[in-house]
Amino acid sequence: MALLPNRLYPELTKIWSRFDRLYLYCGYLSAFFLVCIFAATLLQIVGRLIGYNPHGLTDYVGYFMAASAFLAMAHALNRGAHVRLELFLAMMGRFRIVAEWFAFAATTAIAVWLTYYAWAQVYWSFELGDISQGLDATPMWIPQSAMAVGVTILAICVADHSLRLVLTGHHQVGTPSASL
Amino acid sequence: MDHFIFFSSLLLLLALLLGSGVWIGFSLIGVAVFAIEFFAHRAAGPPIALTMWSSSSSWMLSSLPMFIWKGNILFRTKLSEDLFKGLAPLLGRLPGGLLHTSVLGCTLFGAVSGSSVATLTTVAQMTLPELKKRNYPEHMIIGTLAGPATLGLMIPPSIMMVVYGAMTNESIAAVSIAGIIPAIILSAMFTVYVVISCSLSKDFNPAQEPKTDWREKLYASRHLVPVVLLIAMVLATMFFGLATATEAAALGVAGALGLAWWQGTLTWQTFIDSLMGAVRTSAMIALVLLAGSALSLAMGYTELPKMLADWVATLNLSPFGLLMMLLLLYTILGGFLDGISCIVLTLPMIEPMLRAAGIDMVWFGIFIVLVVEKAQITPPIGFNLFVLQSMTGHNIFKIAAWSFPMYLIMLAMVFVIIAFPGLATWLPHHMMHRISG
Repeated sequence: MALLPNRLYPELTKIWSRFDRLYLYCGYLSAFFLVCIFAATLLQIVGRLIGYNPHGLTDYVGYFMAASAFLAMAHALNRGAHVRLELFLAMMGRFRIVAEWFAFAATTAIAVWLTYYAWAQVYWSFELGDISQGLDATPMWIPQSAMAVGVTILAICVADHSLRLVLTGHHQVGTPSASL
Repeated sequence: MDHFIFFSSLLLLLALLLGSGVWIGFSLIGVAVFAIEFFAHRAAGPPIALTMWSSSSSWMLSSLPMFIWKGNILFRTKLSEDLFKGLAPLLGRLPGGLLHTSVLGCTLFGAVSGSSVATLTTVAQMTLPELKKRNYPEHMIIGTLAGPATLGLMIPPSIMMVVYGAMTNESIAAVSIAGIIPAIILSAMFTVYVVISCSLSKDFNPAQEPKTDWREKLYASRHLVPVVLLIAMVLATMFFGLATATEAAALGVAGALGLAWWQGTLTWQTFIDSLMGAVRTSAMIALVLLAGSALSLAMGYTELPKMLADWVATLNLSPFGLLMMLLLLYTILGGFLDGISCIVLTLPMIEPMLRAAGIDMVWFGIFIVLVVEKAQITPPIGFNLFVLQSMTGHNIFKIAAWSFPMYLIMLAMVFVIIAFPGLATWLPHHMMHRISG
């Protein structure tokens, strides 16, 4: 079922590894925000002990949380950490590839749809001057952009893997055991 | 009739998406979009983006990645070795011998880690080779790892309880604390099973452990000090109301990093590995959870859960009957989906029904965790089975058969907490509330 001539394979592998690196770097960014959550929460504990209460810290922890969650989604998908049901696929035999095509196409459609609305949300927050209701008074479009970026990379990742599936005849999403 | 068509078309779409291998999170978003656009006749995009944003940017939820990170750090320390070294002299001479180190090791590690898979991997990497060396029967070694490892989901910190708390707006600290007593009882039931079955079995004659006096036992138990300190730090701060679940999680990470540093296992590489492993797992859970919040929103628009609740009300079920129906539902779902997906998928539908029936939502958190926990060791999809398959090379159906006694014990535990709901609700009612959350 592979549509790809063998001689093109090394070229494409090079391109694909570049995409893999993009997802990985977003994963590092996500890890950075996890460390921020940790640091801000510790700061809050220490702050309470010494009677100093930083304004809006809990809101920032929330923004870090969203950023950390969305930015790692593509990397997680690439490494096969996201869960999908493969039981029925395994039972389909040679029709499996058709179901895989459908699954990857449907996932891409949903991811692109979500990307559009994530950016629309950023646009409207910016346009209407939406400000956080907490003490931090952050313009909402800033933290919401992290979600939009994360979802965009996720959509790119899903589309990328759909293409790999069509070209090579089998998907290249990592095995679930790679993630603990 | 309309409702019937609506409900069945939703289920059909869900089955089509899940069955063809669409990732669970994306399947749930797809169903949510379909429900809002075609049955509530509203634009689905903006409200779904908004609800995913506001559920993700939640301070409460931030305990999730930190609990996961903590488990990932500890997985890379010598903690499992320490657990074995500390527990073996204490338990080695009991009937059942070192099998108890698996059960109690899982219980203790479950209290520092929030996931069943992490607990299983950590404890099994130590006890599997040691017990095989001493000629313990294979089916007992595997059974006593697969079952008790699910305690990782029950004993706080538990990723599943964070997810449950976030979805129902119950206090994560309260739901977590509620799990302590049922988990201890469950662990005790596993222990009693090991004692009885090993005493009765004729082909149970592993190598005997050396005799130790109380002084040696006491000296060996120094290996347990770090793990006990870690447990106490997180549970005590949460119980006495000194810290919220998020803060307790941060303290736990700090403690785990401190332990790794003290043992000399903390390098830049293990630090980055633990962090990257944590963000992958968190992103996976976050996608399912946020998709669940989109589904929840869609269900609210369509009023389907209310109709379902009304319909169940006409059946005149007792709360017990309702719980039995749910037990059956989760047993079936649990064969195909992992525990968190089960909870996220069903909770939007059944929450109004439960509240209408007057069921305590903190108690139900323990019930649902216990019920979907069993799914970890039921084929064809059970994560603990997969882990043990990759570690031992046995077929998952064989592993499931060996774990079946543990499954029955967990099922019995479900009825125990139905009969004595106080086991779950007593502790959270006596928590101290110095700070909220």
